[in-house]
Amino acid sequence: MPTSGDERIKASAFIPVSTAAVLLVGSTTLFFVFTCPWLAVTVSTYVPPCSAILFFLVLANFTMATFMDAGVLPMANEDEDKDDDLRAPLYKNVDVKGVQVRLKWCASCHFYRPPRCSHCSVCDHCVEDFDHHCPWVNNCIGRRNYRYFFLFLLSLTMHMVGVFSGSLLYILHHQEDLLKLHCTVTLVVMSVSGLFFIPVLGLTGFHLYLVSRGRTTNEQVTGKFQGGVNPFTLGCCGNLEYLICSPISPKYTARPIKKSAVRIMPPFLKPETDRQIPIIRVRDNGVQRHDLQSKRLSADGMDEPDIKRLNTPPPLHPKPDPKLLKSHLAALEGHYLSSEPILARVDQQLAFQSGPMSSPHQLNSLTLNSHFLTHKHAYRHGNKLPALHSEGLISQKVSPGRFPPHNPLSSRSSFSYSNLVNPGDPNYLPQRGGPPLHYHPQFLTLGLDGSVLQGSPSHSYSPVFMGALMHRDLSPQTLIHREASPIRYDNLSKSIVASIKERQEMEAKDRMLRMQARSQALYGCPDMGVYDIPSRRSLPADSMRPPGSRAPTPPSYGSREFMMSTGILGYAGTRSPLSSASSSSLTRAPRTSSSPLQSSGLQSKGRSPSPSYLPPDRQAKPSSSSSTLPHTPSSSSAPLCLCGSREDINMQLWE
Amino acid sequence: MSTEFHNLQELRHSVSVATKVFIQRDYSQGTTCRFQTKFPSELDSRIERTLLEDTVKTLNSYYAEAEKMGGQSYMEGCLACATAYLIFLCMETRYEKMLKKISGYIQEQNEKIYAPRGLLLTDPIERGMRVIEVSVFEDRGSSGSSHSSSVSSGGISQR
Repeated sequence: MPTSGDERIKASAFIPVSTAAVLLVGSTTLFFVFTCPWLAVTVSTYVPPCSAILFFLVLANFTMATFMDAGVLPMANEDEDKDDDLRAPLYKNVDVKGVQVRLKWCASCHFYRPPRCSHCSVCDHCVEDFDHHCPWVNNCIGRRNYRYFFLFLLSLTMHMVGVFSGSLLYILHHQEDLLKLHCTVTLVVMSVSGLFFIPVLGLTGFHLYLVSRGRTTNEQVTGKFQGGVNPFTLGCCGNLEYLICSPISPKYTARPIKKSAVRIMPPFLKPETDRQIPIIRVRDNGVQRHDLQSKRLSADGMDEPDIKRLNTPPPLHPKPDPKLLKSHLAALEGHYLSSEPILARVDQQLAFQSGPMSSPHQLNSLTLNSHFLTHKHAYRHGNKLPALHSEGLISQKVSPGRFPPHNPLSSRSSFSYSNLVNPGDPNYLPQRGGPPLHYHPQFLTLGLDGSVLQGSPSHSYSPVFMGALMHRDLSPQTLIHREASPIRYDNLSKSIVASIKERQEMEAKDRMLRMQARSQALYGCPDMGVYDIPSRRSLPADSMRPPGSRAPTPPSYGSREFMMSTGILGYAGTRSPLSSASSSSLTRAPRTSSSPLQSSGLQSKGRSPSPSYLPPDRQAKPSSSSSTLPHTPSSSSAPLCLCGSREDINMQLWE
Repeated sequence: MSTEFHNLQELRHSVSVATKVFIQRDYSQGTTCRFQTKFPSELDSRIERTLLEDTVKTLNSYYAEAEKMGGQSYMEGCLACATAYLIFLCMETRYEKMLKKISGYIQEQNEKIYAPRGLLLTDPIERGMRVIEVSVFEDRGSSGSSHSSSVSSGGISQR
């Protein structure tokens, strides 16, 4: 039973500290009672007072080391790690005095551990300047109480020396009376102090060495600065000075919260608008217009968060095609809010892709990735995609949990992909029945592959929208279809592009019918970059990013963001929490679950090299996730297989 | 996460937090408490760059003063040791005094500068001195938004 086990564990944690306390107090008391009087008479009258002072010092430091908060860092609020959880990698580098120090993401506390901070598994919290967890005081030793621990060791060593030598002196002078009470007790005290003197002295010497080198026990044991430079040392004297003289840092937990009211009422002041950033806006008709509005000051909050979000993730790996991705992102960014353009764009992409094999596939994936990115970011910021929703375009439902930001892509794309991947698979039998909604019946089947979607129409018609259609804003149709279907990227191989394109067309048609004012135009819109857009309505705002803004950061390939964006191409995530676990296995453990997927070997401490996201890794991922989800037989690497017999699939699927 | 509203919010306005921007620690000088003075781009449209940078620089100077190793901290340590650390029951350490000063400064900055701009600074001590949390409030009269997150405490609303 966990409760009794926990209780037992907790009770057993007190044994060493109780033993230490009993031994310390008991032995010293006996020493004072039986030995000190003789010493006071024989050696000096100052022996008992000095011993007493030393003993009080030992006790005080012992008490402080035991009860003082070591510098526990409180867990991060949900708001703080909301974004980081999705995108950021397991490790982050910072520069400390010219030395690169690696900060690790703490899965329990949900922040990147500051330098020298470590998570104590016994106490289950992160401790600043973590030294070690000492069982003899049953407390973590960290920034705030290291000096007390060190002084405890020093004073205890000196005290033990005093007690031992005093007892020895007494014994030597009373050898003939060894069986008397006084002598017996003194002998016991001497043996106890002598027995524990060696380890205590050893520990004291060890910590003296650590202080001189400016290291913590944790750093010494893990060998962090063995061969390199320790950026935290201040020199031997500086370290000693820091140990003794530094101010005691404050407690972070259990602070009294003082409440003071600050009135926050709109309207809010805005910064001066004299800063004009020329914004090049490419009109639908290809005419460029320089918009001198400060882009940041526009009321359009839609693109800002997108840009911001894309800016925030620190790029970790050299991106495979940064220019390509950036161009796609730049081209597509302005359109993410409008459903038609996106659809059209996807159409175009797919159309484009169906031609050449390998590189377009890459292009397609990157483009779609960028879409996912934009959608994800936009969605996360609560940006509505009103066009999308009002048109009832989507959405698939993201599985409950925190995945929506992570996995909609993968799960949704799986519907289309998996359907196409195994035409022969009974699970994937394409059904040509009438779609419940405006979706192609083929996609109905997809949903059923894991019997996840029961006739639900809403499997996103396009993987692009998956990211956009996070759980939050759901059209009524989409709300019906919540489910978590496994992704079968291993079966993506061939028909993905074709199916997507087909789906896009169907949905575009549906949307056309429902939307009233849609301008069909823009074929070959210049801002689309590489592809043509069969139909899109005129974009309301900048279709290109203002030049002043940072380019949306291409997904860092060590991050979950990239995972998401490339998930469409074969990432074997799932709609369950496990999917987020697997997706984050290369980044950080998800907040909600620590699934076996994480330990499947996909977990990488560092950043995963970006190429690893391509098929070889995807091979591994499906296998790891297959333990939890029904999985179609994996095929060769999905994305590359797209270049395969696409035409064949097209032939098959398109009547 | 429940949506909490600010203490003195008028309900009809119901300003809620749109997003939170985090100013991270600057570890380039070691583990001493410093925050990055780099201006977060998300706040570009809400506040002038110089105002926030000044605030962060002032906070950094306060923290540096709090963590300064000097005569006062040494005396404090010796006195504490001499009294078997019982002095901590009666006396407030220098760092704690500085923290109170910092808290007052943040409060003042919030009232004068940030609240009029729809922002709110949270005392970093509440976040374990890891970040300065800047809550960005929606710039609208009525919120009507379903996605608003909970309001940061900022030492202002109760947690």
